[in-house]
Amino acid sequence: MEQLKVKAQEIKARLKARFNALRDIWQYSDSQPTEITLAVALIFLYPTATYLELGYSPIMDVLGPMAGVYQLYCVSGKCLSCRVRASFITFSFYLLATVMYLYCGMLFSSPTYLGWLVLCFSSFGSLKRIKKEELHRKNG
Amino acid sequence: MDNNTQIILAVVTLLGSAGIWKYAEARLRVKAELRKEEQSTNDTVLYRDDLRNRVEEMDKALKEANKELLALTQKVAKLETENSFLRREIDILKRN
Repeated sequence: MEQLKVKAQEIKARLKARFNALRDIWQYSDSQPTEITLAVALIFLYPTATYLELGYSPIMDVLGPMAGVYQLYCVSGKCLSCRVRASFITFSFYLLATVMYLYCGMLFSSPTYLGWLVLCFSSFGSLKRIKKEELHRKNG
Repeated sequence: MDNNTQIILAVVTLLGSAGIWKYAEARLRVKAELRKEEQSTNDTVLYRDDLRNRVEEMDKALKEANKELLALTQKVAKLETENSFLRREIDILKRN
């Protein structure tokens, strides 16, 4: 019985360490690959999916890909404040898609399903990471 | 969905995302400030800064000592030369 308790505590400690490591990676790791993925999805996937599922919308189908291109431009420029701005715009577009799908009642029934929420979450995480990096560089 | 609804939803979402981001940004700033304050009062950090200053001072002192050592070596070499000439002169005088 005692051995089982010790083993359970060991497993708990190990899981906690793994969880903390994941949290640290999520908060502090380099976010450029995520930003590029989000930007590419915004350029190609975003207009295609919204056009096929919601119909034509100039805001999402024209401005969305432009925001994606801007995000790629900022990532390649290595300018932090520009990246923060671009990530905020990207997050806004993914949030807009989520709200549109929710408004149309398609968030839980369309083929893209909860994917928009995942993209929202991911883009917000990326935005927070870059802001943290910016603050860290300012404060030293 | 008509255009007006789309525009209204877009504006509302933009305002909402701006609000969310402002809140999150303020929290991040507060956390960063707290961390900075914590670091400025942290004994380990203060000790490290103190050590860094000491290393800088010692480095400066070492460079000055090196300069002085070089000057002294030059003086010794000069004096040795003078000494050897003087000895030679003394020898000549003794012989005479």
